[in-house]
Amino acid sequence: MASPAPVATTERARRRAEQLASVLPPLQVAAERVAATVIQGVHGRRRVGPGEAFWQFRRYQPGDPAARIDWRQSARGRFVFVRENEWEAAQSVWLWCDPSNSMHYRSKRGLIEKRERAELLTLATAALLLRGGERVALLGTGNPTSSRATLTRLSQELGSEDAATAAAGKKAPPGSGMPPLHSLPRYGRLVIFGDCFAELETIQKTVATYAARGVRGHIVQVVDPAELALPFTGRIRFEGMEGEGRMLARRVEALRGEYGERLEAHRGGIAEIVRAVGWTFQRHVTDQPSEAALLGIYAALAGPEVR
Amino acid sequence: MLSLGALAFATPWVLLAGLLLPIIWLLLRVTPPAPKQLRFPAISFLFGLKPREETPAHTPWWLLLLRVALAALIILGLAHPLLNPRAAIIGGGPLILVLDDGWAAARDWNKKRASAIELTDQAERDNRPMVLLTTAPEPGNEPPVALGPQRPAEIRTKIQALQPHPWPSDRAAALAAFEPLQLTGSAETVWISDGLEDAAIAPLAERLQRLGSVTVLTPAAADLPYLLLPPENTPGTLDFTVKRPAADEAGLTIFRAFAADGHLIDREPVRFDAGQGSAVVHLKLPVELRNTLARADLEGQDQTGAAVLLDERWARRPVGVVASSAHSTAESLLDDNYYLERALGPYAELRLGPIADLLHTPLSLIMLPDSVLTSDSDRGLIEQFIQKGGVLVRFAGPNLAAADNDKLLPVRLRGSRTLGSALQWTTPEPLAGFEPKSPFAGLTVPNDVTVSRQVLAEPSIELADRTWARLADGTPLVTAEHRGEGWLVLFHVPATADWSNLPISGVFVEMLRRLVSIGQGVGAGVQQVAMPAQETLDGFARLAAAPGTAAALQPGEDAVVGPKHPPGFYGTEQLRRSLNLTSGIQDIAALKTLPQGVTRAELALAGEKDLRPWLLTIALVIGLVDLVIALALRGLLGVPLGRGTAAGIALLLAAAAAAPAQAQDKAADDPAFALKATLHTHLAYIETGDKRIDDVSLAGLRGLTLVLNRRTAVEAEEPMAVDVEHDELAFFPLLYWPIVTGQPPLSAGAIDRINFFLRNGGTILFDTRDTDTAEIDPRGGEGQRRLQELARGLQIPPLIPVPPEHVLTKAFYLMQNFPGRYSGGTLWVEAKDSGNDEVSSVIVGSNDYAAAWAVDRNGRPMFATSPGGELQREQAFRFGVNLVMYALTGNYKTDQVHVPSILERLGQ
Repeated sequence: MASPAPVATTERARRRAEQLASVLPPLQVAAERVAATVIQGVHGRRRVGPGEAFWQFRRYQPGDPAARIDWRQSARGRFVFVRENEWEAAQSVWLWCDPSNSMHYRSKRGLIEKRERAELLTLATAALLLRGGERVALLGTGNPTSSRATLTRLSQELGSEDAATAAAGKKAPPGSGMPPLHSLPRYGRLVIFGDCFAELETIQKTVATYAARGVRGHIVQVVDPAELALPFTGRIRFEGMEGEGRMLARRVEALRGEYGERLEAHRGGIAEIVRAVGWTFQRHVTDQPSEAALLGIYAALAGPEVR
Repeated sequence: MLSLGALAFATPWVLLAGLLLPIIWLLLRVTPPAPKQLRFPAISFLFGLKPREETPAHTPWWLLLLRVALAALIILGLAHPLLNPRAAIIGGGPLILVLDDGWAAARDWNKKRASAIELTDQAERDNRPMVLLTTAPEPGNEPPVALGPQRPAEIRTKIQALQPHPWPSDRAAALAAFEPLQLTGSAETVWISDGLEDAAIAPLAERLQRLGSVTVLTPAAADLPYLLLPPENTPGTLDFTVKRPAADEAGLTIFRAFAADGHLIDREPVRFDAGQGSAVVHLKLPVELRNTLARADLEGQDQTGAAVLLDERWARRPVGVVASSAHSTAESLLDDNYYLERALGPYAELRLGPIADLLHTPLSLIMLPDSVLTSDSDRGLIEQFIQKGGVLVRFAGPNLAAADNDKLLPVRLRGSRTLGSALQWTTPEPLAGFEPKSPFAGLTVPNDVTVSRQVLAEPSIELADRTWARLADGTPLVTAEHRGEGWLVLFHVPATADWSNLPISGVFVEMLRRLVSIGQGVGAGVQQVAMPAQETLDGFARLAAAPGTAAALQPGEDAVVGPKHPPGFYGTEQLRRSLNLTSGIQDIAALKTLPQGVTRAELALAGEKDLRPWLLTIALVIGLVDLVIALALRGLLGVPLGRGTAAGIALLLAAAAAAPAQAQDKAADDPAFALKATLHTHLAYIETGDKRIDDVSLAGLRGLTLVLNRRTAVEAEEPMAVDVEHDELAFFPLLYWPIVTGQPPLSAGAIDRINFFLRNGGTILFDTRDTDTAEIDPRGGEGQRRLQELARGLQIPPLIPVPPEHVLTKAFYLMQNFPGRYSGGTLWVEAKDSGNDEVSSVIVGSNDYAAAWAVDRNGRPMFATSPGGELQREQAFRFGVNLVMYALTGNYKTDQVHVPSILERLGQ
């Protein structure tokens, strides 16, 4: 889905994502405990650091600057106290949208391509997060920022990924279906949009690596309804979109049951992997409205933490 | 050839291939269809799946049926089926086709040609060479067409180009053209004849009989051509004779007469009784119409035997009046020609001039008043004129009374007499009556015409016969003599009113008209020069420009219609003569005698229909449909035709129909809104969707309106809410826009509309309402950020904080700070004045002005201002007044007129 006029398409994509995200209130990623401040997006990290909310009083140690002594509190007691504030920092969220060829699929004219839906969800999530004041970036493209231009930059980056995939065409190396392993700081969040048709071992490896670094993730599996239900009949020769090869099915309707079972088993496997490390998982079918998926993402990111 | 009733097969052995149909069916059934190609991302889950049952898919039954039907159609088509097959022509060898294409074949020519083409088709099927022979000479006296043994396809093209000729067939020439063809062996002949008897038919038929059997096809008796003969040159009615060849049954045809410009003058039916071979049409026309006649024909015949072209020979000629010069000098009542011209002017064409000039053109009548002296040569010309059929009307007078021996008189004269003069006791004589044998018979005798002087005729035996009009005492008034073919008429009174009052009475006009009608056109002389062909008739009696092969008619040559002289108009513009076919042909008869052994049949179209091209075309169409279906089943077509397509297209159409309706502004739909907005000045606020903020805006603008109405000349009405997506913005000079975070982003249409509003003189006050948080928010105010997001796409000019000498500081009140509910925020205006009458189109503030202006129903302020209290509220109101005055009056306040007073007050 290469955009011949990248600026116009990204602008359109961005506008659509904003319209989608406008129905939900700004998203603030739930942290362990949020100190109520007027200014949004700043979370207390429950530790001492630069910030404005009061955290604790500490005994004066030699070496502290004298200007930091809280005289009122010191006057109350015998010791001299230094006022310490809570470390407030905005949350960083990384997003990843699967660029591989298998995402450029739709079964009917009326449906949207999986990649388009995933991109829309990515940008809508980014819009929500930005409105909530969090810092957002695409995985592998620099540090998260929360400036006004971030959304535009994200849509441009997604567009250039599309262009690269289209230019490579059939010669693109098969994607693994899972994001590459980058080093993310602890307590970052990662949201993965893809069809997750990779092997369970690959998924397990990726999830485990990221979870070991303390990153909490949410996986959104975007599938086409035809991939779930296999509504074809007759004699069909299937061809894989990432060079997996061909397969001739003499009667496709006879394969439906087994195929469905395999797919459910795969989904169960992913759910197991994800639950083991405390991540969340949701599946979105492209014929469902995207608002439902966004609500799921919102709930997953804003919900209470399990730790 | 296999025939089953009305259907026949030309190549029946192909039908044996029909035995293969069941085998084709079996093969198609057993072969599995080509698999559909599909790209599928989740293919990794499909690898290795083994289905439980392995019955192969087969082609759907309707596709099978379609293909078998296709094969059956192809087999049937190749077997060359024929509907209503024609009877086969017996014998082998070439087929000779003789086609009559003279004038008589032009009737029903299409049928004859179609029949010839059918024969050609049949010969083509039987693979026989053909010979074509026509019987009429080609234009320019070429011999008739005789094409040697050729393939029927070439003969067919030749036949399709054949047209009938407007001259008679020459079968002797056809026989002569046939001889060089050197046909050996036997050859059958089919002769499509025109159905008329001709002496030369028999030799040609016998010659053809020597080669093989001869069949003559003649049209039905009702389709034989009719003949229309040119009329005689009689005064009075034109009589056309219509002849028909087959006189057995009663018949009807319609006679038509056309003027030179083509419009129809007369149309009447001509009835033939059984056994009647000819009929006469009497065409009675007034002279003027008769002179315009150019063509007469029979309706529906379309052949030159039934078309007659008329030229001037059948027209009534003009009247000549002998005068000394060609120009009329008859201005006074005493002139001779005056009464003649007045009497005949409306009815006939009058020519004036000396006799020699008059006689150049054919005339029907010459009138000779008394005062003109004639020389001997003139008299000679007049004599000739009368001999050839002209009419001379002489008027008596003093000259005639005095003349002695004048041969140009119908009677001998004896001098004149006077009646009723001063020295007599006789009274002028009235007119008694007109002779029944004269042309004046039937005219009413007036009782007021009297004659007071006349010339007298010598009594003689012939006087009584030659008298046409008498006076009361029996003396003749008008005498006439028949000389040669013409008449010499003498009026015993002059054409002026001195001897009698006949010229001034109405009966004089009638008498002259009767005399004109007895004159007939006389040619100026025999043909002197060659007359080239101007327009000729083609075989279907249609007039067209003469072809190059038509030669000119030479003087002295007998004009007979032939290949060199097709019927039509010959001559020049001045002198046109028509050449008619029927002037040479007097009678026609139907074909009766044929040599023995010649079979005779009626010409009829067999209506044979070849079904092969139809069947093969249908087979081709089915083949294409099958191809498309096969591609669609394999999924190779670009457009998958699913269930949703029809519904999708219907939805698209509905959306397209609804979209323009939606895109209309509410002002176009809702004149009530426009009316309300324009009848009075209204302050307006943009609806943000947040009800609380909208209520505050409304209350604030209402408070400001009250203040304006009280303190200034602005008479504003209730503030109005404006939906920036749908409402028309142009009615409002000032819009108040509070920025909230929940406002949805602007659509492209709204952005265009706002840009248009700003460009064309509107002012928007954006109120970001975040002075309280802007200073401590590290990223700038929330409202400001939201405004920047909202305003993406709007063409907002560069803004600066209000400079101290800006009009807003002095538009009504003098003030430098512009507080609202909060105080301290900056007010931004346009950096430099655009052409908007120096009013800044965008003003951005952050002090939440609506909340400061807001008053409830009881007039009490709704929100507290901080930190200034009521003084700050008053300042806020003053700012509002300044703003509204600035928006409504523009740069009025920047005039230098007010500067001295302002300076004075500032100085204090």
